Formats: sequence, structure tokens, C-alpha cells
Amino acid sequence: MMNKIKNNAVYSELGYVYSWLSAGIVVSACLLIIIDIVYLGHCAISLDFLIKEPNASAINTEAGGILTPMIGTIMLTIIGTVVAFPFSLATAIYLCFYSKKGMLTKAVEFAIDVLAGVPTIVVALFALTIFTRPEFSFLSTMVDGVEGSSRAYGKSFLVCGIVMAIMILPFVIKSMQEALKAVPESYIEGSYALGATKWQTIVKIAMRAATDGLATGVILGMGRIIGDTAIVWLTLGGTLRMTGNQPWYEPQNWLSALQNTGSTLTTYIYYTSPAGEGNNYTVAFGASLILILIIILLNAITMGFNFVSKEMGKK
Amino acid sequence: MKGIGVLPVPFRMKRYFYMKLKLNDLVPGIIIRVLSFVAVIVMVFMFYFVFYKASPVLVSSGLKIFTQTGFDKQISDAFNAQNGDPAVTFGMLGLIGGTFFSTLIALVIASVLGIGATMAICEFMPAKLSIFVKAIVRLLASIPSVVFGLIGTITVVPFVEKTFVTVDMQIAYLEYFQMTGRNLLSSVIILSFMIVPTIISLSIDAVNSVPASYREVGYAFGMSHFRVIWKIVIPSALSGITAGIILGAGRGIGEAIAVSMVCGGIGYLPDFTKGFVGFLTPILPLSAAIINKSEAMSVPAVESALFTCGAILLVFSAILSVSAKLVEKQIRKVKGHDE
Repeated sequence: MMNKIKNNAVYSELGYVYSWLSAGIVVSACLLIIIDIVYLGHCAISLDFLIKEPNASAINTEAGGILTPMIGTIMLTIIGTVVAFPFSLATAIYLCFYSKKGMLTKAVEFAIDVLAGVPTIVVALFALTIFTRPEFSFLSTMVDGVEGSSRAYGKSFLVCGIVMAIMILPFVIKSMQEALKAVPESYIEGSYALGATKWQTIVKIAMRAATDGLATGVILGMGRIIGDTAIVWLTLGGTLRMTGNQPWYEPQNWLSALQNTGSTLTTYIYYTSPAGEGNNYTVAFGASLILILIIILLNAITMGFNFVSKEMGKK
Repeated sequence: MKGIGVLPVPFRMKRYFYMKLKLNDLVPGIIIRVLSFVAVIVMVFMFYFVFYKASPVLVSSGLKIFTQTGFDKQISDAFNAQNGDPAVTFGMLGLIGGTFFSTLIALVIASVLGIGATMAICEFMPAKLSIFVKAIVRLLASIPSVVFGLIGTITVVPFVEKTFVTVDMQIAYLEYFQMTGRNLLSSVIILSFMIVPTIISLSIDAVNSVPASYREVGYAFGMSHFRVIWKIVIPSALSGITAGIILGAGRGIGEAIAVSMVCGGIGYLPDFTKGFVGFLTPILPLSAAIINKSEAMSVPAVESALFTCGAILLVFSAILSVSAKLVEKQIRKVKGHDE
């Protein structure tokens, strides 16, 4: 009897140790990653690094900066979010307010579940088949100079942005659906009782009450776009600079810049890392540092939203 | 809509007004239904086009895809053949094995770490510390895969090479492959830390949803805190944890960039009969293969082979996400609060 109690005590102690140890490993891994990035990347960061265009060079001083990759990331984020927003909001509203139990609802829910699990690389492959069709050449450029080929190039900021929208669609839908579900039933019933129509209730009551949650969903999508590499690698290509008409920052060349390729922070990191061709990892870590800072900022914004809405809920 | 309920409006006006109101309700409803169907269309198109592009290799290789190795040589042969015939036989056993072993081992490590960390976060930590740790886990989840890959190539790969690879081993395996730090072990290390946050965040939800009365029963029987957790809380949360592990597996098999930077890029099937050397084999998982060989995609045979990789991934990931959903539904049924 004593022995058994003793054994139990030992197991408990072991359990504590195991549990604290694994939490410690996870936390220290994350902190080590951050420290590693800051330690190796801080020396690359300067004003020049932020406002110069990149050069393909293994020498630190000639590698230039990350201006065009940053612009590329921002462009993709805007295009992806703008394209995904109406579809995901509509789907979330449909699933919360319009759907009846039936085949259609089940099909939509099933599609969202499957799409959420599809690896980004497969989404990119799928996009390559669609956007290299000649009908979509207005999104990128036609391939010319190759005998007997009538296909679009299929790599551009516009194409990549649309693919990003496809990729984030399920996640944004799920998060928006949760936000709309969290609106108290009494608000909705109160609105109907006052004689408002369904659409008025959705727009003026449910969406306003769920604004924070909807914004969180959009920011979640943005975070995924910023962090994605596989899609950018396949549908935007591995070029460092903007390849449209130069100079790309002149307004008359903006459309051409959108229809041509470039880079984002993630492909810049891939390109300059030893895995790519640049083999200059100090710059890669510098770009990683900027990327992590952007992501921490986005995380902080969502946490702020959650905090504010919780405080509101208390009152 | 200020006119509602204003009495002096003439009857006809009122009727017109209600019609307009009805129309205002009807049109957005139709638009919403149309827009929300996009997810279904995208899914159908995705399956159709990926399988359509993969079909030449799928037809010509048949079951050999799952039983033969030698993908790298077949790719370079197909690239150099230049006759444009997409129907070349490819054997992807090495790639599938690479995906399978790297994901499975990473999943085991991540589950062990994840369940332990979940217990610490939900049960043992003071509230303020657990909020901090949760934020850390969320940050770990949102670190981009390319950064994991970069850390992998700069930090993990040299570490693995220094610690485990000796010159004797390199000489012994010279005729098979060049042994470096880029191997299965590095991929597993990177993958496990990419999977862990998924498992932790779903497990936390599952543990938090265990009713308090369950624990109280345990305490009433005189069980210690840890025994209550281990014998009552974790088993009741097991289906949520399982859903987390399945989703983690989905992330593992789909991870392309980070793994392609540390895996070595040669599609060998790891052989564990020779002991630890199996872990030091360079591998090439399906997703990493698509990234690594994407430069050769202008050749139809290579393109079709890569789409075959994509098709296999697509089927696996669809199975995983559907089964995660089923497991979650099962919990709701068992717990008795079905919708």
C-alpha cells in the first residue's frame, strides 16, 4: 500500500517534470528562433537596406536593400485581401444566416474543410494550370518568342494575388463565421422584432456587432499571405527586381509592374539564403527580421481587438 | 427606410415601398448565395485540373508510382530526352516514403511535446505566465515557413552535421550518397516545431472544454492533481487532441519550402534496418520535390510528374482534413451536445 502511494507520488513528480520540460522546450525554441534572427540579422538593417533595390550579389555591401520585396509583399497582401474579402464575407453570412440543412450547405462546408487542408504548394500548381491559359493573359503577359506556343506566362503580381485569395479563403471564412456566430441572439431577435428585414439585420446589427471579429479574420488572412512562400515561388517566380517597364514607381508603369513579376520578402529570403542562388545569409536574416516584426505587429493588432471586445463584453 | 410606419403615406405608395423593401432583401440574398458557392467551384476545379495534368504519368506509371524508386534519375532523363512525350514512367516510392517518415516522426515528437506543454499551460502555470506562453505559441505558429527553413540551413544543418555525421560514415556511404547535414533528421527537427503550435492550440481548446465536474469527481476520489489530469482530463479531451494531431499531419505533409531547404533533395527511401544511419539519409518529400524540380517544369513529362506529386498530396490532405472533421463531430456526439 505504502509502495503504491509512493509510486503514485513519483509518477506525479515525473509528470510535472515532463510537462514543464516540454513547455520549456517549445517556448525556448521560439525564443531561440527570434534571438537567432535578431542576432544574425540586426547588422544588415540600416536605412539604405530599407530604401534600396536589391542586387544579386554575395557581397554584403553590394547586395542592396529590400525595397521592392517589401512593396511586393504589400501589393500581394492588398490584392489577396481585397479579392478574398467579398467572397469570404458572403460565405460566412450565408452559413450563418441563410443556410438551411441541405446538400448545398453541406457542399459549401465540405469544400471549406477540404480547401483549408490543401497544401499551399498544390494551390500554386492548380493556379499554374488555370492562369497559363491564353484567356487569362490579361493578368500576366503572353509568352512570345517560342515557336507554336500560345500560352500566357502565368506569373505576375495579379495572378499571385488571386491565388493568395484562394489560399486564405477557407481560413477567413471560418474566422468570420465564428465572429458572426458570436453575435448574441437577442440582438438579432430585437432587430427582427422592430420590423427590420433580414438584410437590414445582417448589415446594420450583426456585422456592426461583429466588426472586431471580421477584422481579425482579415488580419489572419493577411498574416498568411505575408508568410507564404510556395505560392509566390511558383506564381511570381524567383526574380529579385520588378520586371515590368522601368522605372516601376512611375504611375504609368504601375499596370505593367502588376502584370509582371517581382519578389516578396519571403522569396527574397529564399533567394538570398544558401538554398537559393544569392548565398548571402546576413541579408536574408535582415529581411527575416523585418518580416517577423510585421507579423508580430499583426498579431499585436489582433490581440488588441480581442482584448477590446472582451472588455466591451464585460461592460 | 425611414418611411416605415409613417401613417399618412398613400396606400399605393406604401405597397411600392414594401415591394422595394422586399427587393432589397431578395437581391443581396441571391448575391450571397452565388458568392458563397465559389469555394465549392474552386475545390472541384482544383481536383479536376491537378488530376487532368497528372493523368499522363498516372496512366503510364500506374501502380509503379507506389512501388518503384529512382525519381531523381527519371526526372533528369525526362528533362534530357527532349522528345516532349509526357507519358514517362516515374517511381515515387522514395518521395512518398520521405513524406511519410518525416511527417510521422515529426508528428510523434510534436505530439509528445504538445500534450506536455498543453498540460503545463492549462493546469500548472499561473494565469499570467500561461497568457505569455500562449502568445509565444501563437507567434511560433505564425513564423513563416521560409524563416524556419533559413534557421534550418544556417543553424540546424551544421549542428546535425557536426554532431552526428562522422568522416567514417561519410566514407562508408560514399557510393550511395554524399552524407551532409541535410537529411531526414534536420527535416524532422524543423517540421516538429512547425507542427507543435497547431497541436497545442487545438489541445488547449479541448482541455478547456472538459466539464469541471469531471475533475471534481477525481479529486473526490482522492486523486492527485497530476493523476486527475492524466487519467481524466486528457482522456476526455483526447478527440480534440486527435483532431489537432491530424491537422498537424496535414501541415507536415504539405510543408514545402522549409523542408526543401533542409532535406537534401535526393529521393532516397530511409532504411532503418541499418540503425541510426536511416535518419541521416537525404530525402525528398513530395512537396519539396515540386519546389526543387520546378525549374524543369517546361518539359511536359516533368510537369506531369510534379502534378502527380501534387495529386497525391491533394488526396492525402483531403482525407486528413475530412477525418479531422469526423473526429470533431464524434466528440460532439459523445458529449451529447450535437447541434
